[in-house]
Amino acid sequence: MDAVIELQHVSKIFGKFPAVDDLSFRVPRGIAFGLLGPNGAGKTTTIRMIMNIMAPDFGEIRVLGSPMSRETQNRIGYLPEERGLYRKMKVADHLYFLAAIKEVPKDKARERIGSWVDKMELRPWLNKKVDELSKGMQQKVQFIATIVHDPELLILDEPFSGLDPINTALMKEYFQEFRARGKTIVFSTHVLEQAEKLCDEICLLARSKKILEGPLRDLKRQFSRNLVHLSVDADPGQVAGLPGVVSCQTVNGGYVVALNPDTDRREFLRQTLERYPVSAFSEKEPDLEEIYLEAVRVAGLEETREIA
Amino acid sequence: MSGKKILAVVKREYFERVRTKAFWIGTLLIPVFFLGYLAIQIATSSRAGGERKIAVVDLTGRLAQPLSRDLERQSREASPAAAGEEEGTRESRRRRRDRNVHWVIEVRPVEGGLEATKEALRQEVLDEKIHGYLVLDPALLEKESAEYYSTTVSEFVALSQLERALNRIRLREKIQARGLPADLASELEKRLDLKTLKVTEKGSTEEKGAGIVTAIVFLIIMYSTFFMYGFQNLQGVIEEKTSRIVEIIISSVRPTELMLGKIVGIGLVGLTQYLVWCLIAMNLSAPAIAGFLSLDSAGMPRIPFSLIGYFILFFLLGYFLYASLYTAIGAPFNTNQEAQQLSMIPTLMIVSAMSVYPAVMNNPNGTVAVIASLFPFTAPLIMFLRTALAEPPLWQILLCVAILVASTVGVAWLAGRIYRVGILMYGKKPTIPEILRWVRHMPGKTLQPALGSDL
Repeated sequence: MDAVIELQHVSKIFGKFPAVDDLSFRVPRGIAFGLLGPNGAGKTTTIRMIMNIMAPDFGEIRVLGSPMSRETQNRIGYLPEERGLYRKMKVADHLYFLAAIKEVPKDKARERIGSWVDKMELRPWLNKKVDELSKGMQQKVQFIATIVHDPELLILDEPFSGLDPINTALMKEYFQEFRARGKTIVFSTHVLEQAEKLCDEICLLARSKKILEGPLRDLKRQFSRNLVHLSVDADPGQVAGLPGVVSCQTVNGGYVVALNPDTDRREFLRQTLERYPVSAFSEKEPDLEEIYLEAVRVAGLEETREIA
Repeated sequence: MSGKKILAVVKREYFERVRTKAFWIGTLLIPVFFLGYLAIQIATSSRAGGERKIAVVDLTGRLAQPLSRDLERQSREASPAAAGEEEGTRESRRRRRDRNVHWVIEVRPVEGGLEATKEALRQEVLDEKIHGYLVLDPALLEKESAEYYSTTVSEFVALSQLERALNRIRLREKIQARGLPADLASELEKRLDLKTLKVTEKGSTEEKGAGIVTAIVFLIIMYSTFFMYGFQNLQGVIEEKTSRIVEIIISSVRPTELMLGKIVGIGLVGLTQYLVWCLIAMNLSAPAIAGFLSLDSAGMPRIPFSLIGYFILFFLLGYFLYASLYTAIGAPFNTNQEAQQLSMIPTLMIVSAMSVYPAVMNNPNGTVAVIASLFPFTAPLIMFLRTALAEPPLWQILLCVAILVASTVGVAWLAGRIYRVGILMYGKKPTIPEILRWVRHMPGKTLQPALGSDL
């Protein structure tokens, strides 16, 4: 599978402190890729280096098959975390200007701006100054500006921060549509729940370092602690007494049961069915937050071991 | 470099500015103010005209009558037609000024002693019954002196007229006293008119001072545009930073391209303003302005093409130099206030050029003029002034242009380096050592300050 973005041993140091430390990852074509981590983990710096706004101190970055060039720049839609518009400019002029600096021919720009403006119900505002628009309207303009040149790769830094619920929904909808057309989305967020719903693959950063990378599905399997949801007509003591059970918790009228790592889940279900009436049974996957915390814990342990 | 992208930036900078009401108000108000200023000047100086009622206390008893006649004759004969003189000479200009003053002379006898008379007249002056009073005292006249008392003693036009009249009468009196022929007086009264001619490579042309005035007007225009449009570059950079648009722009356009586009776009706004002024001037037409300002058409400046050529050349060179400098100064900062301290640098440089300009006027090819026209930051204004006043040696003009081009490239390079780093700097105001580090910073090497809020 060809990589849309490829980072090899990339580092960026501000003063004595590394903002990004030996980061490598690759983003395959046609997926939604999440760059995750808490504030200060190095997400914005990584994105700025990918966008060639900043040069890395070490390592190599390839975007759309080559180091960033003008030609590649025009194929990328970028939404920085710090966003803004020329406040005194009219909405239409602004959109045409942003299309022009992506070298979109005028007639194409007219066509695309027209259709997006209709989709976002911005037409009455086209001749208003950006200043006169509400914040939500400005976010829509910003969003059109990001995709007006029909990019094949979208790079979005904290795209949902500050968005109102309507625009968040719009953004998510466009995400799906964009990916369905075989295009690639790379975005950063510190909200793991959002990433969990939108990402195919992730890269987790903490304290300037990569701690985890891969397809979300694989990671969930890898971090699964053999948990199952069980709805059964039995009291907690009886459930705890089943073979292979390590612990059990009551959740919403059912149980979350942690099984011994060696226990086969089908075997457990068969044995449970023999004793009690079971109304529901499902595997419980770890959510991204649990994976994150676990990964940080493991990374932390490894660090201590190295020091010792 | 991509022409298309730079062009897009140029167009935005240009149209966003030219479309504003502020631009048109400024463009139209400046000539209005300028003409208004001239009109007020002329109106106030011709206020010297009108009736002048003065009292004369003649202790000699023989000078008051001839003085009164002389002044009245002056007013009548002052029109150029009557004098039958050539237009445009200094004498004819003076005569026209004189025509405006109508003297009314009242001879007052001395009543109850000189001091009492003077006291009475003083009261009349204060009551504004008379404009002033003249005391002709033989003792003072012996020492070639007379006294004029008035509330205003700075009406140069009227006073010099009075003085000249007195001198004429005295001259006649002296000639008569020596028994010389009376017509000798009018012969002696004639003054020589010193014509100034400017020597150029192409020969000599008469210079009536209008050329110098034109040069100074152009100089002031250039000077103020360096300020106005130079500073707009600084504000433009800061505006892009505060509105947080800059990161979106430089994901499409290289910082150098953005910088170049902005400088060119804003410069074109300046040229547009000049063009509008030119059109206004042409439509009003020189005679109309001349009539309005009641100058004679011969005195109207005829603007030579070389002057316009040099103006555009040095305007462009100077503008690019100052615009780059202002850009470099704006880039590291987030507010005009933060940039204020450093923006004094180009401001002082422009002002320093204006402070040496009197020295250059006095000696356009002197040492001060040569040095100031070769130092890059005073060169555009001073070299332009020199080309208007005298013909500086060609090698100096060429050297000046070369120095300006080289320093513009240098400053633009410097500005580019500061700009690239500076436009992404938010938050803390950077110190000068930090900014200097950005200049030395090579792409791909470590940089000290933290960028943005989220690393």
